Amino acid sequence: MNTPVRISPAVLGVILVLLVIQLYLFETVLGAVLDGQRGVLPGAFGVSLALTLIALFLAFRSTVEHGRKKDGA
Amino acid sequence: MTWWRRAFPLELAEEGHFSRREFARFLALVSAGFTTGIGLLWLRKKPLEGAPDPESGPTGHPVALGLAADLRPGQSRLFKYRDAHDACILLRTGKGELKAYRQTCTHLGCAVRYSEGRLECPCHMGYFETDRGFPVQGPPTRPLSAIALEERPDGTLWAVGELPKPALENLGPRAGCVRESTEAQA
Repeated sequence: MNTPVRISPAVLGVILVLLVIQLYLFETVLGAVLDGQRGVLPGAFGVSLALTLIALFLAFRSTVEHGRKKDGA
Repeated sequence: MTWWRRAFPLELAEEGHFSRREFARFLALVSAGFTTGIGLLWLRKKPLEGAPDPESGPTGHPVALGLAADLRPGQSRLFKYRDAHDACILLRTGKGELKAYRQTCTHLGCAVRYSEGRLECPCHMGYFETDRGFPVQGPPTRPLSAIALEERPDGTLWAVGELPKPALENLGPRAGCVRESTEAQA
C-alpha cells in the first residue's frame, strides 16, 4: 500500500516565513514607488522572484515524508 | 483523544479534503502573486495615483493657476495638474508663501484640504504641515507630493513640475522630528 508523501510542518513553516518576508517587501516597495523611488523595483523583483522560486520548490518538489515511505522508494 | 481534537471536533474525512501539501502550494502561488505584482509595478510606465512622475521633472507642462495676488494668506484653491483626475491644492500659508501639493493623502488616498494652517485628511484625521508636506499627526507616514510653482513677471502663477520627495533616510516618523533635528544642527 502506498503512503501519500506529505510535506513536513517545518517546510510549511519555512514557506509561511517566506510569505511574510514577501508581504513586508511588497509593502515597502509599494511605499517607495508611491514616493517616486522606482529604482528599488529591479532589486525587489529579483529578491521576490528568488523567494517565490524557493517557495514553489518547497511546495511542489519537497520530498520530506512523514510516516511510512513508499515501497521501493 | 488530544485536547485540540476535543476543542475542534472535526471529522477526519473532512480533514483530508485539504492537505498540508495543498496549503503549501496555495501559499507558494500567493508568493508568486507578490512577485507578479512587483513585476507589474516595474513594467508600469504610468505613475500610480498620488505618486510623483519621475519623467515630468521641473520641465513638465506648465498649468496656469491664475493671479498669485488673488490668494490671500490662509486661502487655498484646487486645480488639476497631470490630468483631469490629478487633483492638487494650491495654498498660501500664514507666512505668505505659496505652496502646492497633490491632494491625495499618502495614507489611503482621501483628498486633503487646507484648514487652520495645515493640510488635513478628514477620513482618518491625518495632518500635514504646509512647508514641505510632512505628516505631523494621524496615520500618514509619508509626505505629500509637492508641485513646483513659478510666479511670472505679469503676476500669474504656474504649476511647472513636480518636486522630488525628500529622501527616506531623512524622514522621521513625524515631520516635527525632522524639523527638530534640522534646527539642532543649525
